[in-house]
Amino acid sequence: MRALLLGRRAATAVLLVLVAVFVLGPLLWLAAHAFATRWTYPSLLPDGLTLHWWSVVLEDAQLGAAVRNSLYFAPLTVLVSAVVCLPAAYAFSRFDFPGRRLFLVGLFATNAFPKMGLFVSMASLFYGLHLMNTVAGVVIVQFVGTVVFMTWIPAAAFSSVPRALEEAARDAGAGPLRTFVRVTLPLALPGVLVAVLMSFLAAFDEAQGTYLVGAPVYMTMPTEMYSLVLNYPKQVAAVFAILLSIPSVALLLLARRAVLGGRLAEGFQIR
Amino acid sequence: MTSSPSLSSARASSAPDPAPSSRGVAGPPSLAVAGLTKRLGGRTVVDALDLSLQPGELVALLGPSGCGKTTTLRMVAGFLEPDAGTVTVGGRDVTALGPDRRPSAMVFQNYALWPHLTVFANVAFPLRLRRLPRAEVTERVTAVLEMVGLAHHARSRPAQISGGEQQRAALARAVVQEPDLLLLDEPLSNLDAQLRVRVREEIREIQQRLGITTVMVTHDQEEALAVSDRVAVMNGGRIEQIGTPSDVYADPATSFVASFIGSMNVLAGPDLASARAAGVAGPSAGPAPDETWAVRPEHVAFSPRAGGPAVVRRVLPHGHVTELVLGVDALELRSVVTGEAPRPGDQGDVALRRVRHYRAGLLVGDGHGGGGR
Amino acid sequence: MSDARRRGLGLALALPPVVLLAVFVGIPVVLAVGFSLGHVGGLNATIARIGTDTRVATSWWGTTQAWADVFADPRFVRDLVVTVGVTVVSTVVVVATSLGIALNLRLRGGRLATAFAGLAVVPLFIPVVIASWAITTFYSSDGAVRTAAALVGLDGPTWSYSVTAVVIGSVWTSLPFATLMASSGLQAVPDAMIEAARDAGASTASLVVRVMLPLAAVPVVIATTFTAIGVLGQFTVPYFTGPNAPSVLGVDISKYFQSFDRPQESVVMAVVVFVLASGVGAVYVGTAFRSAQTAGRA
Repeated sequence: MRALLLGRRAATAVLLVLVAVFVLGPLLWLAAHAFATRWTYPSLLPDGLTLHWWSVVLEDAQLGAAVRNSLYFAPLTVLVSAVVCLPAAYAFSRFDFPGRRLFLVGLFATNAFPKMGLFVSMASLFYGLHLMNTVAGVVIVQFVGTVVFMTWIPAAAFSSVPRALEEAARDAGAGPLRTFVRVTLPLALPGVLVAVLMSFLAAFDEAQGTYLVGAPVYMTMPTEMYSLVLNYPKQVAAVFAILLSIPSVALLLLARRAVLGGRLAEGFQIR
Repeated sequence: MTSSPSLSSARASSAPDPAPSSRGVAGPPSLAVAGLTKRLGGRTVVDALDLSLQPGELVALLGPSGCGKTTTLRMVAGFLEPDAGTVTVGGRDVTALGPDRRPSAMVFQNYALWPHLTVFANVAFPLRLRRLPRAEVTERVTAVLEMVGLAHHARSRPAQISGGEQQRAALARAVVQEPDLLLLDEPLSNLDAQLRVRVREEIREIQQRLGITTVMVTHDQEEALAVSDRVAVMNGGRIEQIGTPSDVYADPATSFVASFIGSMNVLAGPDLASARAAGVAGPSAGPAPDETWAVRPEHVAFSPRAGGPAVVRRVLPHGHVTELVLGVDALELRSVVTGEAPRPGDQGDVALRRVRHYRAGLLVGDGHGGGGR
Repeated sequence: MSDARRRGLGLALALPPVVLLAVFVGIPVVLAVGFSLGHVGGLNATIARIGTDTRVATSWWGTTQAWADVFADPRFVRDLVVTVGVTVVSTVVVVATSLGIALNLRLRGGRLATAFAGLAVVPLFIPVVIASWAITTFYSSDGAVRTAAALVGLDGPTWSYSVTAVVIGSVWTSLPFATLMASSGLQAVPDAMIEAARDAGASTASLVVRVMLPLAAVPVVIATTFTAIGVLGQFTVPYFTGPNAPSVLGVDISKYFQSFDRPQESVVMAVVVFVLASGVGAVYVGTAFRSAQTAGRA
């Protein structure tokens, strides 16, 4: 019996190591390259350590501009998305109107078309509307990827606020808007924050569409990454990769409890 | 059993609406509901309901689930728009107003306390909405919290206090608004039995002290009889009878009210005829074939006598009284006795002291012998 | 507020994102489908002119000539098969892994199980571009895998720039969402249900198959369909990690448009992927609606 238990424990430990290597291995390998002078195969460690590549990246004006653009467009997109989608999320949650289910599913269905194919036709439309190489154009392209997160997840969060709590506020004298601000929103906030987080990540990582609409005027970190990988040494790409990951990882640490809760799954049920 | 009687004949045979004896000058009604109707899912849930309350009185809307009492309350509160009819509070027609603009305050069945606010903030919420000065808000909230005995929990969150305390907090939140009308939606249904008795008396005491006109929805007839000035018994979307608790108990106008309020022996003609033949004493006139008789257990008198037609089948002690299940042939009668009780198997005589006669659900006769009241 | 006004207000509030998507996604989709059928007027004129060998519509509804061209190309058929294959394999691996992690977390719990779940969610926070590049360097000819193998005297495999790496990359990026779905679905199964099954004599396997999975069906279906749809149309992962040939359709779409100057064929492929993805999506919608109905929410 003891042996079986130990055996099982050992097997689980081995499995954990395998999964850890699978998930973390590539990240650690790449991160190590950011500090390597050179790395000759097949040595397990780099030839030497240096911060040289960091200064290369941080002093490069173009890369710096890309970083600034990313940190400008992503929050802007999330703000636009919140303003446009949160009222809709509330409507999906509390109102019954013709086409409600259809719209809800339709918003999700837009993800089914492969992005690359979409961007081809989007280019025609954007040319026609004079949105190419504009801030608005880039925001729209990034916005499209955030809609599902900003409608489905908050809608579920709003639905989870018991109606009686809203009715009690109305009964106490609060109008519909005040009820929303003082009762519904605070109680639905965890779900809304998860939505904001997922939307930020989606906007921040958006590469193909941003490249199509923004290049060469507005380059963000992901779009810059494509050319980096092809034109610069591995170490430069590694440094840039770490920089690009910092906002995401920071958000991970702040929000891990919210994301690991049940909010995400709730958000994707159709009611 | 029998179909629902028509409103007018039921109301005609009950006592006229008495002015509340407990307080208040009889004047224009605090709440007047006229012709209130609501259809939901193809069913008429509330059917041309009329109701008026005098200032300061507590009226209970009593009935089984589905009778329309909660729907009526929600229409008075403003959460539901009636299909027809009006709601007038303090002489003002509020039918078109939303719940935030009506001078009524509601205590919700599950209390609906906001979990992210403290008890103090919950009670202060309506006052802060009205932008009252901070000192006044603090003063009023503290006074109300003391009145309901929650002052020591002012800084607690709803999750940290007990069910009974949550209920009092919800009541405090309603009362602090100094409403013209207080609406209680099954306020005691989530409390355990012993707490219920205590809390209902506290609610009644506060209501009387503040003199707030109150409508209370409940399905528990004992609770309704215990605390109300008047009880409106509802069935199928209509009020079958409205009157003081003693009137409704002693003189139920319809067979529905008779069997809903208190416990009642309900006897249909043929059973009783055979029992009469076996020797049960009752009104001199025999039951008509389509008549139903209703007799309260306290009006079923059992006198032990060996060889009597009745036999005690079961004895059920209830602490303060003892309930007897008597059998006469196929007929089963329930009786109550205080003090010493017979034992199962004892034989004796049964006399029916006060019988109410119903035909087609409506009262047609009372006492010994037929005729109207 | 009356019912009609409520409906109107609800509709008004819900319209902005719907309208924006209808314009910026809906119209391009319609344009794309139209272009694939040979409609080269209006907004399609520019790309039609850029492209070589564009087939023009011959009747009112268009022409299937462009579609025939594409399907007649053996490279396309090969790539279609590879795309579907990669999708199926990746989805199976992802769902199996996420279910394993989620079941372990639910039934056994403890720090080890939480560690597994935590690991599985890490990729969520790494941008796909970075992830793809990291995976490529890790499995490349001078990457960590071969380095570790060389240390023990073995000749390790080079998986970068192969279909294997595409599968690895797809699994890596899809794992977090599927794990979150599966674990929250299984966490929602009440303890009482599990205890009742064990009390009735169920082994762990029966418990999982007969009680837990049916109860957690919807989130698991969501995980499966979202993973499949995501992998079907993806571009970044196969672009970095995959071979030049065969490539998946997501990469082909870009290649045919940008490198080969054949936008119409590129669009045909996009529509093919769209049809496949919609088919998968229909499964999700159907399941979700049916479950909502049985739960009384529909």
